[in-house]
Amino acid sequence: MRKWILGAVVAMLAALIAACGGTPGQDTNASSSAATTVATAASDADNPFAKYGDITLKVWSADNQDPGPMPVIQELAAQFEAKYPNVKIELTFKGFTDYMKVIKLALSGNDAPDLAQGNQGFAVDGALVKAGLVLPLTDQLETMGWKDWYTPGTFQQFQWSDDGTKFGEGTTFGVAQFGQSTGMFYNKAKMAEAGVDPTTWATFDDMQAGLKTLRAALPADEAVINLGNKDGYEAVHAWGMIQGAYNDDAQAIRDWVFQADGATFDTPGNIKALQVLKDWVDAGYFGKDYNAVGENDAAAAFGKGSGAIYMGGNWQAGVIKEGLGDDAGFMNAPPGASGKHIAIGSTSLPWHISSKSKYPDVAAALINHLINGEGSAQLLYDQVQIPAVQSAPQPEGDEYLGAVATGWQQLVKDGGLTLFPDWSSPSMFDTMGAAFQKLMAGKITPEDVAKELQDDWQKYHDELAKG
Amino acid sequence: MSSSVTSETRRRRGIFGSRGGGRRRDRAPGEPRYVAFLFLLPALAFYLIFTMLPLLHTVWLSFFEWDGLSLGTWAGLDNYREILNDEDIRGAFIHSIELILYYSVIAVVVALLLIMVIQRAKVRGLTFFRTLIFLPQTIAVVVVAQAFVWIYAPKGPLNTLLEPFGLNRTWLGEFSTALPALGFVGSWMTFGLAFVLFLAGMQRIPQSLYDAARVDGATLWQEMRVVTIPQLRNELAVVITLTTITALRSFDLIYNTTSGGPGGETRVPSVLIVLNAFTYGKVGMASAIAVVLTIIIFAVAILITRIGDRSEHA
Repeated sequence: MRKWILGAVVAMLAALIAACGGTPGQDTNASSSAATTVATAASDADNPFAKYGDITLKVWSADNQDPGPMPVIQELAAQFEAKYPNVKIELTFKGFTDYMKVIKLALSGNDAPDLAQGNQGFAVDGALVKAGLVLPLTDQLETMGWKDWYTPGTFQQFQWSDDGTKFGEGTTFGVAQFGQSTGMFYNKAKMAEAGVDPTTWATFDDMQAGLKTLRAALPADEAVINLGNKDGYEAVHAWGMIQGAYNDDAQAIRDWVFQADGATFDTPGNIKALQVLKDWVDAGYFGKDYNAVGENDAAAAFGKGSGAIYMGGNWQAGVIKEGLGDDAGFMNAPPGASGKHIAIGSTSLPWHISSKSKYPDVAAALINHLINGEGSAQLLYDQVQIPAVQSAPQPEGDEYLGAVATGWQQLVKDGGLTLFPDWSSPSMFDTMGAAFQKLMAGKITPEDVAKELQDDWQKYHDELAKG
Repeated sequence: MSSSVTSETRRRRGIFGSRGGGRRRDRAPGEPRYVAFLFLLPALAFYLIFTMLPLLHTVWLSFFEWDGLSLGTWAGLDNYREILNDEDIRGAFIHSIELILYYSVIAVVVALLLIMVIQRAKVRGLTFFRTLIFLPQTIAVVVVAQAFVWIYAPKGPLNTLLEPFGLNRTWLGEFSTALPALGFVGSWMTFGLAFVLFLAGMQRIPQSLYDAARVDGATLWQEMRVVTIPQLRNELAVVITLTTITALRSFDLIYNTTSGGPGGETRVPSVLIVLNAFTYGKVGMASAIAVVLTIIIFAVAILITRIGDRSEHA
């Protein structure tokens, strides 16, 4: 009897093991359908897409903030539908974290969206290119004039080798809508009270002197620079401006992000910049609660009057303006010896055309309308977002928003967008966040930070080399 | 079982169940008939499909290097080797062992002390307090996490309370306080379970044992040692097992408060599993950590149960 049961159990287990065996990922790797080039001969002068009859274009986006980019995308999509009545656009919005977990599977599925945002870096865009799930945009760069949208340095974040292993060069696979750079928000009232005028800071040394004055002027329990580093990345964003001041070559920083051969984090400029960050902690510029507050909470608190400076992303411009009103000011951190503005920043998430889409030309037209359609810049400004394309006009009659837009344009013009360092490997976000928190707590030295980051970088570099 | 019952059963089977008479298949007396397994089948099937199959699948995946999307490659024991060699992963396991101190040891000790007090003194409104103390067990951990983020906030209630004494800290943001602060939340959550189970067990202890102890002049501590604790042996084993498992697999509390920070100081294996699977694109590694965690939990549970059993025979 016992034996009988034992036999049955063993047989059942064997069946289960067999059921779950096999190399994982086997069937998801079905050969990607080759993109069919659709003849663009227009049958209808006004609507080149009339030939398709009634069609639905599925569009996925992670820009679901409202107020923010979501209403802009909705409005532009509605305009597109009005212009081409036979095209219906089905918009799907998801929060960033959820979106990034599902987008790769969605694009590899049978019901893939025609148009979808990816995310710069190896984890998402690299994987999509590697799996052949998104189309190259080489033709559109020429025929639709997209090549004039950005500077070469900005274009790099969309460029991949065709096998998806080399980042920052090669074929362009995406284009993006708005500019997300980091800079310095300041509270005009607090500055005036302390007798400091940040607009006169011509160099980073001026800023250092100004911070000292501010520390002496503000109450001891108030931070000079309001920082929300609970998740580890906000200090990295602020540090990117210090890094920019002590490095002359933004391309070298980008090369590290791109995993270029021979790139290293362990440079004198980076070590010096890390030391300055630690000095700022020791001088009490950040207060002492920064590790317990998240980025959004810190920006909101700054808007409510906590701290004189907020060093972070221009995506917080709306919240800060709402809180501080006319006291809100924005500028890029003053440049270092190079005289160039260098800071962390990139475009928003790149739009990709699915290689499974039956209407790639319609998708391209929609991208064109989203990014460079008439009036799209003003729609973005209305939602306190900065258009990424070079030809975009300045916002009218809004000094603050103009300053935020200028911040982005300055970085683009100086070739100083260093992108986001965590793109360099899937685990870099956590490695970097933890290393910076340890540095700021005095647990490790700037040299240790450089080593930890370079080790993570090298590990992924080796994995990429393995293929 | 007395032999008269078995012979009775046999006789009855002989009447209703015999076909050819004589000796049938050799089933020991009292052993369940095969048909019993038919009744177990639905539950067993569910268990196999929804528990065993995913578990085995996880074990299988742990031998691969797989990003969750493209074709995986066979890695053998590489993932397990890395777990042993990687300082951060080992650190995460050590953190969860530290959490056992809070979730299990402190909760059990405090619950026993309180039981000791209740044993001596008549407490009015015990039902009310019992409900109150058990309450943390019934609240979703995400809610608990949000509540404690607020309590521990730099300008939160705890710091407001401590500020006059200059004891205010950035509880969840400092390296030295983050893990203990979360551990304390764990104690708070599991304490109710321990208390209620001990209380129930205590009501089963005959008053005569305490009377006897008191006649012999036992102190409060001796009474605890020779009467209460031995009598609560089963409850202790259950509570320690449950709370230790809770500590080892704690995820929601940590993910919703510090997400492993500052500087990885509160990272535990379950947080690493999520990071590896969904962020790093290392599904094989995530599976391997999950398997190791499962084995540890399994081993700890067996160990505690065996210790409980042994003391019963002593």
